[in-house]
Amino acid sequence: RIMPVRWSRYDPSYLEPEVNKELYQKPSEKLTEEEREQMELKAVRPIKAAPPTLSSSVFSDPMISKFTNMMMKNGNKVLARSLMSQTLEAIKRKQLEKYHKAPENEKETIECNPYIIFHQALKNCQPIIGLSNITRGGKTYQVPVPLTDNRKRFLAMKWLITECRENKHRRTMMPEKLSQELLLAFNNEGPVIKKKHVLHKMAEANRAYAHFRWW
Amino acid sequence: TLRLICTTAAVQRKNGGASGPEKYTEAFIKKQIEEFNLGKRHLANMMGEDPETFTQEDIDRAIAYLFPSGLFDKQARPMMKHPTEIFPEQRKIQWGEDGRPFHFLFYTGKPSYYSLMHETYEKLLNVQKHQDQLTVQDLPLQKEKRNLAGSRWLTKIELEEMLLEKLSDDDYSRFIQLLQKLVALPCADIEEEYIQKFSKEVPVQLQKVVIDPLQFDERGVAFSTGEGKRKTARATAVIYDNGTGKITVNGIDILHYFPVLQDREQLLFPFQFLGRIGKHDMVCTVSGGGRSAQAGAIRLASAKALRSFVTEKEVEFMRQAGLLTADPRVKERKKPGQEGPRRKFTWKKR
Repeated sequence: RIMPVRWSRYDPSYLEPEVNKELYQKPSEKLTEEEREQMELKAVRPIKAAPPTLSSSVFSDPMISKFTNMMMKNGNKVLARSLMSQTLEAIKRKQLEKYHKAPENEKETIECNPYIIFHQALKNCQPIIGLSNITRGGKTYQVPVPLTDNRKRFLAMKWLITECRENKHRRTMMPEKLSQELLLAFNNEGPVIKKKHVLHKMAEANRAYAHFRWW
Repeated sequence: TLRLICTTAAVQRKNGGASGPEKYTEAFIKKQIEEFNLGKRHLANMMGEDPETFTQEDIDRAIAYLFPSGLFDKQARPMMKHPTEIFPEQRKIQWGEDGRPFHFLFYTGKPSYYSLMHETYEKLLNVQKHQDQLTVQDLPLQKEKRNLAGSRWLTKIELEEMLLEKLSDDDYSRFIQLLQKLVALPCADIEEEYIQKFSKEVPVQLQKVVIDPLQFDERGVAFSTGEGKRKTARATAVIYDNGTGKITVNGIDILHYFPVLQDREQLLFPFQFLGRIGKHDMVCTVSGGGRSAQAGAIRLASAKALRSFVTEKEVEFMRQAGLLTADPRVKERKKPGQEGPRRKFTWKKR
C-alpha cells in the first residue's frame, strides 16, 4: 500500500528523471521486457525536474553527493563541497606517494583512483545486521534485525562523519582526517571497521532474542 | 426573557440544528429543468438568436453581457446552467413505506460500495472459472497484454460521484487492488466491458508543446530563445549556432558570475547531455532568486532553447532526463502557531 508520509509539490503521477546518457543511446533491440514497459510508461507520464545536485557529467556521483549533504552544516553546501574535493585530493596525493615509493612488483596492487577507494571504503564499513530496541514485559531488549540497503549506507556514512568530527586533534583539518579514515577503511582497519565488528558481535550475542522480531 | 445557556441535546435539536445539505425531490428538479429550458428560449429571443440552436457557451456569453460583474470569484458571478450541474445528485430514499430498506446491504452504511465490491469479485470468480475450463480442455490461454500505459483508473472523487457515497482512502485502495487483480489474470478479456467502466484514457500526447523554429540574425547565424524559472529567479537565454562554447550571463562571463562549480555544472548540463559543448554560444539574462535558483532558471531556459536545434527523439530524451520540467518547489509559508513552516514552538511543560 502506498501511503504518502509527507506531501510533495509534485503530483503522485510524476516519475523520477533518468540522467544517464548511455541508457538513451542503447538501441531498442537490447532492452528487456521490463525496460520496454518502463519506457512506454515514461512516454505517457510527466517527469519531475532534475535536482541541482544531479547532472549527467562524469564527475557527479550520487554517493559523493549524499556524503557531501551529510557533511554539510547549516546549509553551507559550498564549504562541504570544497572539503569533499580536498579529501579526494588528499587521498590521491597519499596514494601517489605510496605508489612512487613502492617496489616494482607492488606498484600494480596500489589503487590510485580516489572514487574507487571511497566506494570500497563505504562498502567495507556497511554493517550487515543491526540492532533495534523492542520492549517486552517492561524490559527493553536489543534484538538483531536485518537492515535495508539505504539504512546500511546511511549508517556507514554517519559513522565515518562522527568519527572524523570527534576523535581528532584540535589542529587537524577535516579533509586530512577523513582521507586517513577512508584509507584505513579501504584496508579493513581503523575505528569505523572496529565499530562495525562490535555491532556484529553484539548482534551475535543477542541471537537468542531474534524471535522477538515480528516483521 | 431568560435565555437558556446550558441546553440539553433534545432542546438543541428542537431549536433548529443543521440537518445536512438540503434534500430536493424529483418533482422539484423536473420543474427546475422546465424553467431552465423556458428561460433559455427567452434569452435566445432577447439576444436575437435562434432558440433551437442556443448552446451553453452562448448562454454564458449572454449572461456575462447582460449582467456584468467585477467579482473575482467566478463561482460568485451570475450564472445560468442546467439544473443537473447546479444541484448535486442525491440518493433517492432507500426504504419503503413500511420502513424496510430496498437494498440488502443497506445496514452496512455504504450499500453501493459493498455491492460494487461483490460484483467485481463475482466477475473475478467468473474469469477464474473460465480459465479452469480452458485448462481442462487444454486450450491456450489468451495472452494479449492490455496497454496499461494509455489508461488510468478512476480517482477517488470520481468514484464517489459515481456511487453517490463518501468513501475512505482505505476503501478506494482496496477497490483498485481488486481491479488490478482482475486485470492481471490472462482471461480478463471476457470482462473487458465491465473494466472499461472504471478506467479512463490518458492523453498520450504529453508533447503538446509547440517547438519554435530556428531564427536567423543579420550575420546569418541561427539562434533560438528560451525562458526559464526556478523559485523566484527568471531567466532568458539566447543560443547561437557555430560558436566556441562561450557563455555570458548579464554581460559577465560564467567563471566570474558563478564561482561555485555546482552552478556551472548545472549550466553545462543540457549541452553535455546532448554532446554539444563546444558548438554553441549562449547569452543569458537572469534576475531574482539566489545563486542556485538563478543557475536552475538558466538551465531550464537553455534546455528550452536547445529544443529547436535538436531532433524530436532527443527532445523526448531531454524530457525524460528532467531537463524540460519547471521545478515547482518553492519556499513553504510559515503557519500561525508554529515558528516556521514545519518547526513548532519549543514545548514547555509549564
